[in-house]
Amino acid sequence: MMENKEIYERLTEIFHDVFDDDSIVVTPELKAADIDEWDSLTHIRLVVSIERSYKLKFSAAEVGRLKNVGEFVDLIQMKAAA
Amino acid sequence: MNTSAPAGTLAAAPLGLSTLWEGQSATVDFTVTDADMRNFADISGDRNPLHVDDTFARSKGFDGAVVYGALLVAKISQLIGMKLPGRDSVWTNLSVEFRKPLFVNQPAQVEGVIANLSASTGMIELKLTVRTEGKLLAKGRAEILIVEP
Repeated sequence: MMENKEIYERLTEIFHDVFDDDSIVVTPELKAADIDEWDSLTHIRLVVSIERSYKLKFSAAEVGRLKNVGEFVDLIQMKAAA
Repeated sequence: MNTSAPAGTLAAAPLGLSTLWEGQSATVDFTVTDADMRNFADISGDRNPLHVDDTFARSKGFDGAVVYGALLVAKISQLIGMKLPGRDSVWTNLSVEFRKPLFVNQPAQVEGVIANLSASTGMIELKLTVRTEGKLLAKGRAEILIVEP
């Protein structure tokens, strides 16, 4: 099972790249409303980047029900363990 | 499989996410003419003699005027916009590496293959190659978002 710390470190790199902002601090509570540039297209870019980085595929329903980064981390761990 | 619009029409293929799969491919055959080169020189303002002066290009070691790389991208645009995935899509990313020159009136083919399909987002990744007589001229990748109603 992947360590939470490792996942958050990698997600931080992805967030910094997708939003072109190295000041973003990725926490479990972080959500779209917290970042001005987090619109529908950057959301797609974010999900695709995470799928590519972890070599995972999510369904639209799985991604659609996520409320914050913490839930995304849970989904990554669940998928990676499957 | 080679996906194409119905013969004799200019209709863009309406391929939705459910009809796309990894490994699906499409091609566009093309030949860039002198008229195409003149038109692009007018549109772009790029009159680099490498592209518009056959004698100059030969003096630089090429076999003739080199086709604008952007015209290869134009055929990639045709492939994406008309064939794979066609109508209900928009590009979000494109990278192309030019390996060898294409010359005017030299037949070529651009091929796109779906390398990755993200069902959660509707984003597909297309691997692209441009060849003439089987020889690789350019390769690249595009990210395309499927925009369905």
